[in-house]
Amino acid sequence: MKRAPWLVAAGAVAGFLGVLGLHKTAAPGALASGGIQPASQSSQAGQPGHAGQPTHASPRGQTPAGGTRATPTAAAPAAGATVTSVGALERYGYGELAARVSISGGRITAITVPVLRTAEQYSQQLAAQVLPTLRSEVLAAQSARISAVSGATYTSQAYALSVQAALDKAHFR
Amino acid sequence: MSASPVAFGAPKSPADRKRRPARSPATRRPHPALARLALLVAGAGLGATLAVTITSQPASQLSARGGALTYAGSLAGMIGTYLALIMVLLVSRIPFVERVAGQDGLLRLHRAIAPWPISLLAAHALFLTLGYAEAARTGVWHEAGVLLTRYPDMLTATIGLALMCLIGIISVRAVRRRLRRETWWLIHLWMYLALAISFAHVIVLGPAFVGHPLTQAVWSVAWAATAGLVLCYRFGLPVVRSLRHRLTVTEVRREGPGVVSVICSGRRLDRLAVSGGQFFCWRFLSRGLWWQSHPYSLSALPQPPYLRLTVKAVGDHSSALASIRPGTKIAIEGPYGAFTRYAQRRPRALLVAAGIGVTALRALLEDLPRGSAPVVLLRASQPADLVLSTEVRELVKHRRGTIHELVGSREEAAINEVSLPRLVPDLAHRDVYVCGPEGFVASVVDTARNLGIPDEAIHHEAFAL
Repeated sequence: MKRAPWLVAAGAVAGFLGVLGLHKTAAPGALASGGIQPASQSSQAGQPGHAGQPTHASPRGQTPAGGTRATPTAAAPAAGATVTSVGALERYGYGELAARVSISGGRITAITVPVLRTAEQYSQQLAAQVLPTLRSEVLAAQSARISAVSGATYTSQAYALSVQAALDKAHFR
Repeated sequence: MSASPVAFGAPKSPADRKRRPARSPATRRPHPALARLALLVAGAGLGATLAVTITSQPASQLSARGGALTYAGSLAGMIGTYLALIMVLLVSRIPFVERVAGQDGLLRLHRAIAPWPISLLAAHALFLTLGYAEAARTGVWHEAGVLLTRYPDMLTATIGLALMCLIGIISVRAVRRRLRRETWWLIHLWMYLALAISFAHVIVLGPAFVGHPLTQAVWSVAWAATAGLVLCYRFGLPVVRSLRHRLTVTEVRREGPGVVSVICSGRRLDRLAVSGGQFFCWRFLSRGLWWQSHPYSLSALPQPPYLRLTVKAVGDHSSALASIRPGTKIAIEGPYGAFTRYAQRRPRALLVAAGIGVTALRALLEDLPRGSAPVVLLRASQPADLVLSTEVRELVKHRRGTIHELVGSREEAAINEVSLPRLVPDLAHRDVYVCGPEGFVASVVDTARNLGIPDEAIHHEAFAL
């Protein structure tokens, strides 16, 4: 048929743009990785830190990184300077997570995951199993350069990226 | 049964014309617009597949360890699977597509696309395994084991991929030549199973699908619809037609050296819509032949209750037809083929045939209206090879056309850029229909193209084993 390749190409462009358009209207800003800029704070002992800057509306209309509001100043130990920063919200194929890192005396002392949303049950269970392992890896390596856990590749990658972002914010080495 | 129940010739007198039984209804017109729409939709599906894959994986993944391989593997998998879907649709004999493109054209396209989905899906498996292994800092084999055992539906998907690769290998020309056609075809049928068992792992594990119910729904509907079309048009309709018409062999007539006509009779052939130039896949249900299905053109329009095919003995099957017993039942698939008068673009036609190619030409000729003044070129090495020539001459005379019989060796009676314009002065106003052995058809099509005839005005059907 004459012009057959052109017809297919035209259809492909239309289909591609159509899906992109649908995707944008359904989830604004979702394409940007780490679409939320959560507050990152440094706190000195005794200084009441402010809870953080106003955040953008997150995809799916949920308030992101609720943990940032609860200021770590209250939780931070009074003695010694502890820096806490929250990494960017990392979307991965099956969900999204943000890691929060506490650095004290030049060492990573604690990592938590205040934000974890997964698409379905399997990913939720997987994350629950895998996050402790990843946490101990980061503490042992004292960096975000860790190995992924077999069978949880996407989760591990998102965790590592979020931790790295948090470390960068806190200007950790 | 006594001699010739029916003569498949042109009517010799006005009285004869009146006595001819009513024709079967001609097949419905092809609608190129529908085919163009199908192409647009196929393209849109490809674009949409690309888009859902890209939007479901954040760009940050590319910088993660093993992330680029994982991304590439996911992309290869989605595109490969979509192309596999298209491959299935191409050969599912959907009527409005087949009427425009012709079964042989669709098969050519199917064969041309084939390496792509198989390579992409093999790459998909390889890249994902490598990417996951790199991210987890384990060996590739260990990671492959994890993938097979810990992830749902991966074992069946791997078996499906292995089947696909096997089918790919046996379809390579060098291997296919060594296999019997039926053996090759039976193994190839397992492709349906391979695709069916691979379906689950896509929906359950693919990032584009997990948590995206709309994408899951659209993908599932597309595959369900494809399965439905295959069941309906690829398997169902031929069975219905065979049962409805109950064709049986009535007579075998010798037409020339190594050439026989098989006259078949059936019920309700006035309901079987055929256009001149179309073919059926014939399955003669006799002991030695029931497991084979071969395409042969009708060598005349149906004269209910009779159909005729004319066959030259070039292989086992065609040779066996010379001694087929009357009363043998026949299962048919078809009618297929776009080599019909509906393909004509220009006011008049040139019909060229060599050897047994005259069969489709003879049926097509009968479909051309009176006064259409066709020019017919019949090519043969010896005069005895000009089968059905009497009928062709009658039909040409009836339509106020011209016939040239070019008998002799390839050097003596060639059809080339010099001889063709001489034989057909008004070539610029004619569609060219060519029919015969592959080499002959290729050379005449080349000649026509070199003489400036556009591709839309050239129609061919090559008879290959």
